[in-house]
Amino acid sequence: MDIKREDILHLANLSEFTLSDAETDSLGKDLQDIIKYISQLDELDTSTVEPTYQVFEMENVWRDDVILEQDATREELLALTKNEIDNQIKVPKVL
Amino acid sequence: MKYIPTIGIECHVQLCTKTKLFSEVDNDARGKEPNSCVSPVDYALPGMLPRLNGEAIRLAILAGRAMNCEINTWSRFDRKHYFYPDSPKGYQITQFYEPIIGAGYVELPSGTKIRIEHAHLEGDAGKLTHFNSYSLVDLNRVDTPLIEIVSMPDIHSASDAHDYAKELWRLMCFAGVTYGDLYNGNMRFDVNISLAPEGAEKLGTRAEVKNLNSFRSVERAVEYEIKRQSKILDAGQKVVQETRGWNDAKGETTGQRSKEEAKDYRYMPEPDLPPINLSAEFIENESAKLPLMPSDYREIFNGIIKSDILEVLLDYPKLMEKLRELGKVPGRERSRPLGQASLSPVNLPSSQIATISNLFTSVLLAEEKSAEYLNDLPSTADLAELAEMNEKKELSSTATKEVFLKLFDPQMKNHGAKQIAKELGLIQENDLGALEKIVDVVLSKPETQKAQEDFRAGSEKVLGFLVGQVMKESRGKANPGAVQEILRKKLQ
Repeated sequence: MDIKREDILHLANLSEFTLSDAETDSLGKDLQDIIKYISQLDELDTSTVEPTYQVFEMENVWRDDVILEQDATREELLALTKNEIDNQIKVPKVL
Repeated sequence: MKYIPTIGIECHVQLCTKTKLFSEVDNDARGKEPNSCVSPVDYALPGMLPRLNGEAIRLAILAGRAMNCEINTWSRFDRKHYFYPDSPKGYQITQFYEPIIGAGYVELPSGTKIRIEHAHLEGDAGKLTHFNSYSLVDLNRVDTPLIEIVSMPDIHSASDAHDYAKELWRLMCFAGVTYGDLYNGNMRFDVNISLAPEGAEKLGTRAEVKNLNSFRSVERAVEYEIKRQSKILDAGQKVVQETRGWNDAKGETTGQRSKEEAKDYRYMPEPDLPPINLSAEFIENESAKLPLMPSDYREIFNGIIKSDILEVLLDYPKLMEKLRELGKVPGRERSRPLGQASLSPVNLPSSQIATISNLFTSVLLAEEKSAEYLNDLPSTADLAELAEMNEKKELSSTATKEVFLKLFDPQMKNHGAKQIAKELGLIQENDLGALEKIVDVVLSKPETQKAQEDFRAGSEKVLGFLVGQVMKESRGKANPGAVQEILRKKLQ
């Protein structure tokens, strides 16, 4: 698979990243290398193997619908944000 | 040119669980402070693990069965990635590949069937409020459990789109899986609309109108899109595939950001949540808890309550339950196969059920406090007693309404229907002997002599005056029908 420059720009756009030209080039090269490395897995024939969704082989792990006291308070959680107004998290304007 | 609209609707339903889908935090944030119903899981702090709420699975089964859907024994969760401040995780946990609810259908009151493609469990996003130079984030709604119901493109008119949305709302309310408060966004509709020339085999390009929160806005948005797209096609231009927003005040849709394609969401299995593997027995046991649905009530009350009145009452699940109790209809047999309702007929006389249902539509729903009243309905015994007094003509229709309303009055309701009627002096005198005595008193009065002569001379209209005099003498308690009969007999 060939990673084109517009693929990198598209991915950057989805992640709301602004990249310089140099960064775009180097990320493109890195990603190309990573995909090439991982693509070695394609050599294996997995047509008869069930996909692995998780590695613990557990199922039906549910809890009861009961409200529990939380370890962290609203104040502690809000303290982790850069800016807040009236107990809400302030972020740059988004549309 | 004439175009045929093809419409599919996606509906998000907020489930009324006590806690969120993936954390043990209060799920009911109505009237609560911003960010007061949040946990480190909702904040997506590093290392936090989602913990699946079993109740959401049970409610999803009920919702599925309410729409005649197959419940899939095997389902699992995926991550749907997108970058936006309403989602601290940077992805939504949803069921993209293997949803819990399979194919089914919703039958509209008109009889039209709309097929359901599937429905799946997922977490809601947080709420953003936009200001001039910044936006504020409230995470109370993060991971409120949702089921997203995806219909097949079986809808072909604005009115069917309206009816489908409304019937879905009723099904979800009757099944008891949501509070169903549309004003607060408990159910939201996304509508896909395309037009194709009559007879064309291929569907046209569709536009999606997002985030409609009333049946009326669903209907109006479809009407608007049919007009807009017809104009474009008539001019020989092409409809752009895009997401559009609805402006309710202006009554129009406007283009929004271009939609991310499915592959842009980079779906991947959610490794933190083990898959769901339900036994047939579990599904059967949970399905059996489904209460009677609107279609069941239409069957039960067919020929007893007029369909236009029934369709009004069907907006109120508790009220329908009350009417069913009144008719002593046994509940649905447990674990019966889908679509084979065995419902016994109503036991209370049909006329009395009709009387009560008329009182609910004509009196109760007209009251300002009707919403409050609906939460605390009178006992079945009181309603039956009231209907019986009305039937036996012990209460006039006006008096019946008066006693009915008192049954909602906290000060009076404990007294019971009969006692209230007595206390208010509303019981009509039906004892013919007693009535005759009162009539005799009236007929002996000098001021009625002229009327009596006129009646004997053939004037029918003075009978009303004489009945009125008797009513006055009885202080309103006489049964006017009986009085009229006695007067006619005596004045022959």
